[in-house]
Amino acid sequence: MQNAKHIYSIFADYLSQYFKTRLAYRADFLGDLASNLISELINLVFIIVVFQHVPLMGGWSRDEIIFIYGFFLVPYALFSIFFGFWDFNERYIIRGEMDRILTRPVHNLAQVCLESIAPDRIFGVISGLIIMGYAAIQLKLDFYWYDPIIFIVLSVSGALIYGGVYTAVSAISFFSDSRTGISPMIYNIQQYGRYPVDVYNKIIRFVLTYILPFAFVGVYPAAYFLRKETWYIYAAMTPVVAVIFFGIGLLVWNIGVSKYRGAGS
Amino acid sequence: MHKFYMELIRMRFLTMLAYRVNYYSGIIIYAINIGAYYFLWGAIYGGQQQLGGLSVAQMTSYVAIAWMSRAFYFNNIDMEIAQDVREGKVAIEMIRPYNYLSVKTAQAFGEGIFRFLFFAGPGIFLISLIIPFHFPATAQGWGLYLLSLLFAFLINTQVNLLTGLLTFFMFRNDGMIRAKRVIVDLMSGLVLPISFFPGWAQTLMGFLPFQAINYYPSLIFTGVTSAARAWQLIGFQVIWMVVILIPILILWRMARSRLVVQGG
Amino acid sequence: MIQVKQLQKEFRIHQSRAGLGGAFRDLFSREYKTVKAVDNLSFTVEEGEMFALIGENGAGKSTTIKMLTGILTPSSGDIVINGFVPFKEREDYVRSIGVVFGQRSQLWWDLSPLESFRLLKSVYKVDDTAGEKWLERLIEELDIGSFVSQPVRKLSLGQRMRCEVAASLIHKPRLLFLDEPTVGLDVLVKQKIREFLRNLNETEKMTILLTTHDVSDIEALCKRVLVMDKGKLIFDGLLSDLKEHWGNGTEVSFQMKKRTKASELRNVLGDMPCTIEQINDYSLRVQVPRSQEMLPFVLSTVMASFDVSDVKIMETSTEDIVRNIYRTDGEVASHA
Repeated sequence: MQNAKHIYSIFADYLSQYFKTRLAYRADFLGDLASNLISELINLVFIIVVFQHVPLMGGWSRDEIIFIYGFFLVPYALFSIFFGFWDFNERYIIRGEMDRILTRPVHNLAQVCLESIAPDRIFGVISGLIIMGYAAIQLKLDFYWYDPIIFIVLSVSGALIYGGVYTAVSAISFFSDSRTGISPMIYNIQQYGRYPVDVYNKIIRFVLTYILPFAFVGVYPAAYFLRKETWYIYAAMTPVVAVIFFGIGLLVWNIGVSKYRGAGS
Repeated sequence: MHKFYMELIRMRFLTMLAYRVNYYSGIIIYAINIGAYYFLWGAIYGGQQQLGGLSVAQMTSYVAIAWMSRAFYFNNIDMEIAQDVREGKVAIEMIRPYNYLSVKTAQAFGEGIFRFLFFAGPGIFLISLIIPFHFPATAQGWGLYLLSLLFAFLINTQVNLLTGLLTFFMFRNDGMIRAKRVIVDLMSGLVLPISFFPGWAQTLMGFLPFQAINYYPSLIFTGVTSAARAWQLIGFQVIWMVVILIPILILWRMARSRLVVQGG
Repeated sequence: MIQVKQLQKEFRIHQSRAGLGGAFRDLFSREYKTVKAVDNLSFTVEEGEMFALIGENGAGKSTTIKMLTGILTPSSGDIVINGFVPFKEREDYVRSIGVVFGQRSQLWWDLSPLESFRLLKSVYKVDDTAGEKWLERLIEELDIGSFVSQPVRKLSLGQRMRCEVAASLIHKPRLLFLDEPTVGLDVLVKQKIREFLRNLNETEKMTILLTTHDVSDIEALCKRVLVMDKGKLIFDGLLSDLKEHWGNGTEVSFQMKKRTKASELRNVLGDMPCTIEQINDYSLRVQVPRSQEMLPFVLSTVMASFDVSDVKIMETSTEDIVRNIYRTDGEVASHA
């Protein structure tokens, strides 16, 4: 607990460090913003175009699918803010920055997260909320007073699920002695779980629920707000899954650190 | 000179082999992507026989082959160029007795061959076991597809060279490169066949080179087109290739003079 | 303060097969070779000692330092430093040490060193008033005040290196590790850093361990030297002993004004145990095995008997010493 408090207190320092650095490269900042916005829009285009040809997809309407996508963007953005070390292998293993991390008195994963923090991804939360808001109006959804709280809990849980899987995948770098291309894997990972899992066959549904549980980042929690009662149990399980998978990620990471070989001789 | 480029292709091929985690993760990614889209399209079709001019069976082949084609033409040379520029390596490349852009293209080709043989080959085989899948019936069909795929690679590489070259003028353009990647995926017909788009969007995309990167070869593969139409599509690809060459050469000339002025 | 017992570190190194077929086979099964980077290393260090770890490239110095700093987990053996087992209690342990990697920066490239110091202070939870005073002292003694608020990327290597040293000391550690701290620095900066380190060692009783290729670093700073070769500790003792036992002694070359023969020199030096070598008609080289007693005698005798136009004295380099030890390849010499 003491440690968590310390991490929280240096978080602000890293944040200010980030903004000071970022001011030096303003063009890059805008480019990143535009590229994120474009990827979000393109996924929306897919949904809209497809629904010009069909009224339903596996029993789900266009606006329901859009709502799920909007919801998905929120935990994904939270995840992107804190887990921005997509160049982990290159930067920390090959160039040996991990050496420095390990000689500092803060948990090493926390340091790596803080050093690659990307607060500008907060805009993903905003676009997610806008998309969800649009879909909610179209669907005439009703909300209870406690729904915002549930929304926050589910979003944070979703971000932790991504974080856990991502951490475990990144930790492969500790074990492998070759360059590992984890960044394309992460780039592709965000594809899944955005669509209702019941459109997939059993195997993929199983994978997305129990092995790479990305369904808990999009469909399952969103189903709660869409009032799809068949999925309520899954929605309720989201925080549990988050704790388990983040724990697994942390465990794999810690084992990886003990296997760390250092760069050079 | 010819030998030198062959050596570059071979080197990149071997480098790809060395990164085996990359290799395994690549197979998983492609398998999941194809699987996911296959089922997604199944759900979208529901009971319908035909959407956007494609039957369910043709759509299935289309999805699989679109991803497999991507395995061949996809590369990150724009990112590599950007890195070379940022780290100042490009100045050294300039004084070497070869053309930097040709070197990058050769390296991309080595990577493409690797992915084609080790991802796409086994991938197509595995997929054909699991999902109903139509191969071109004739040798001519195969020939047309492969020819069109080669041009697809060249056009995509040119587009990458173009975005990579912009780094000379912007210093940092990672955001733009990433945005380009998603745009190419959408506009090339990877996630959606072009025929699904509304008419006005199809007209608009007719003026852009992106569908030559994936839509054309994938159409030829699925057998939706006649041989005559296939030749026509390949003709379009050739035209696009020549057209994109012009801005590349202009930008390259500007980049070089800029480098001379700045001294690297 | 530092206790190391039978420390071992093994690495599994992937052996690439040759050619296309080999690379293809590597994809599915790999051949590994186990290499002992550190082999049965034991030593102890008292508080306030200042000592150097030397050896050729690949001798296991870096691996040893990385185990001592908690970065690497040993394959077997024990390390206890400041009462901690480094790799087990890493986060608590590293509060009591400072580390400078000569090749790697711990400063934020785009920001000023002062910003990095500020961040490191909160990372190490440094008490504000005392910490501030200590930082002021570091800035003053390292003489970095004039550029400490410029972005790091605009600093010269020498300026940056001094800032690196300050950054590693921000939390006033009891133990400081320096891995190749003076590589590529000019003589003046080297001197500044050495003076600072010596002062730190005297006033704060800080224990300092450095690895280096530069024999002048060791001479200026360390009494005790550890020599490693192929992962093994082959010498642990005083620098003077190391030189006495393993050095080539000192080489003196004389440039004469007149033609001089080696035999003439031998005549004046008598049966002094030294070798004399004729380089050309006018110049000769004298090899003196133990410099402390004999060098003054050789110099004064030769100068008095001949017309000497120039004298050059060359000390054995640490590399030479290590090479000598390696050539003898015998028992571990311990003079601790």
